[in-house]
Amino acid sequence: MGFLALLALLLALPKLVSSYKLLTYTRFLILALMAQGWNFIGGYTGYAAFGNVAYFGIGAYTTGLLMIGKWHVPFFPALAAGALLSACVAILLGLPILRLKGHYFAIATLGVAEALAQVADNWDSLTDGSTGIDLPIKSEGEFFYYTALGFVILGLLATWAFARSKIGYGCVAIREDQDAARMLGINTTLYKGIAYAISAVFAAIAGGITAYQNVHVTPGDFFKIDYTLQMIIATIIGGVGSVAGPVLGAAVYQLLSTYIWGRFIELHPTVLGFIIIFFIVFLPRGLMTVIGRRRKSGERPFKASDLLANVRAHRVT
Amino acid sequence: MGGAELGQIFVNAVLLSGILALVALGFSLVWGIMNIVNLAHGAFIVLGAYITFFLHELLGVDPFLSIPVAMLALFTLGWIVQRGLINQVIKAPLLATFLLTFGLELLIVNLINYFFKADLRSVTTPYSGTGFTLGPVRIPYIRLGALGVSLVLVAALAWFLKSSRTGRAIRATGMDIDAARLTGVKVATIYAATFAIGAGMAGAAGSLLSMIVPFDPTLGGAYTQRAFAICVLGGLGNVANVVIGAAIYAFVDVFVGARLPSLSRAVTFAILVLLLILRPQGIAGKSV
Repeated sequence: MGFLALLALLLALPKLVSSYKLLTYTRFLILALMAQGWNFIGGYTGYAAFGNVAYFGIGAYTTGLLMIGKWHVPFFPALAAGALLSACVAILLGLPILRLKGHYFAIATLGVAEALAQVADNWDSLTDGSTGIDLPIKSEGEFFYYTALGFVILGLLATWAFARSKIGYGCVAIREDQDAARMLGINTTLYKGIAYAISAVFAAIAGGITAYQNVHVTPGDFFKIDYTLQMIIATIIGGVGSVAGPVLGAAVYQLLSTYIWGRFIELHPTVLGFIIIFFIVFLPRGLMTVIGRRRKSGERPFKASDLLANVRAHRVT
Repeated sequence: MGGAELGQIFVNAVLLSGILALVALGFSLVWGIMNIVNLAHGAFIVLGAYITFFLHELLGVDPFLSIPVAMLALFTLGWIVQRGLINQVIKAPLLATFLLTFGLELLIVNLINYFFKADLRSVTTPYSGTGFTLGPVRIPYIRLGALGVSLVLVAALAWFLKSSRTGRAIRATGMDIDAARLTGVKVATIYAATFAIGAGMAGAAGSLLSMIVPFDPTLGGAYTQRAFAICVLGGLGNVANVVIGAAIYAFVDVFVGARLPSLSRAVTFAILVLLLILRPQGIAGKSV
């Protein structure tokens, strides 16, 4: 019931707010999309992917280059091509990289993203280097809002289905104990590859939509690590490995970010740092634990003292 | 590439490897002992650089003399950060400490930026820019001094870890935390000391870097990545591995930088990723 009301509100939103405000809501949906994608590899599978911005960039450039160039492909087929290419790159890169564990995986993905940014910067004949490319202009804010909203809803359904599928359970098993999962007959390489490819598809779609909306695509804007961080932080704020967590987290993040941008522009990263530290120390499983507990019968409601439970469990004395 | 150019590249790589060893040593110590990849390491380096800069600018302290001050300040900060923040989630899954230190990096760098502005700064002394020539090869005094200081600090830390009581306790904690606790090691204190030493080393590295390269608050990020690459190259475990890793990295970096400047980071990272895939235990080291 509450969900339907929320959906109706989101559908009617472009009629209710100014086009400038709508931009903020569109940004929230794009972030939600990226966070949903990261949740597959980082949340369910437990692999700290730190380079998903690479797929955001690939999606943006593929969409953009197909739409301009000599083909003049329409937006949605171009977007699909970007998603497909990202998935292929993710599988190719994932085969070697997903064999790494822990910190090594995290830094390898970070390195791949950095390297791709430099490639985009230097491949002048294709990407026009750091000057960037310009897409056809489309100024209807509603179009981008509804496109992003549609993908976020699809993402919710996909996450829900994934979490109940054999692959989803396999990925959770890998997160909890990879060796045990392998011994149970789970094809860990395949499952990790699938989760990684899905996360790439989401990032690519987010990148493609952003590219079309921003018109101008440069390596500096579309390969910056900030996007990787935002999707991880949004997922953590909402709740890692939950269906609605990334969307909730993206909403909270965007709210905080917009508010903070407005008030203390120069101290934005400081406040962001505080938010990260707060959530990691006190609410590492995200807001979904606060909301989720109330709803399930048999569990006591969330109390303020639970904030310290994580600290008690994980400190060394 | 002529012989003179080759010689200069070789000397540059040797001079660079000393400071890189210092940068990577603190990082490697924290990682090896506490299993924390400290992404705030770069921010500690920047703080060291600013301490040296302001001591020189405001009080006229010689940059080399300000190194102990930077080390002590960062040692203290490292102790506080470890006891106050990192220790609270140290047993949580890896992503927690990874993100926590990243949040710290963000916060520190932004605060420096806010208070000291993003201007590019450099420490300039009367002997900056002077040096001597050895045949066709030029050696700046400051870089030679930085190499000397780095080697002294690296050797001192190696001795400390090998022979002192605290150093042995640090290594014991890294090997088996429960066994160390049983023999009466105060693990929380040892962790704080380890992290503080790592931060102190970063402070010294920052001091030295401030004399060699112009810097702004974002100087550190690239050095955190280099420290990681060096640890991967050398493998964790002991000081010698870090020095070997730093030397290899310095040579690759300087050679690639001389041939393909615009792609140097892509090439460096490609090598790193390849190495991670082919030889995750490092070139020199034991398994990690």
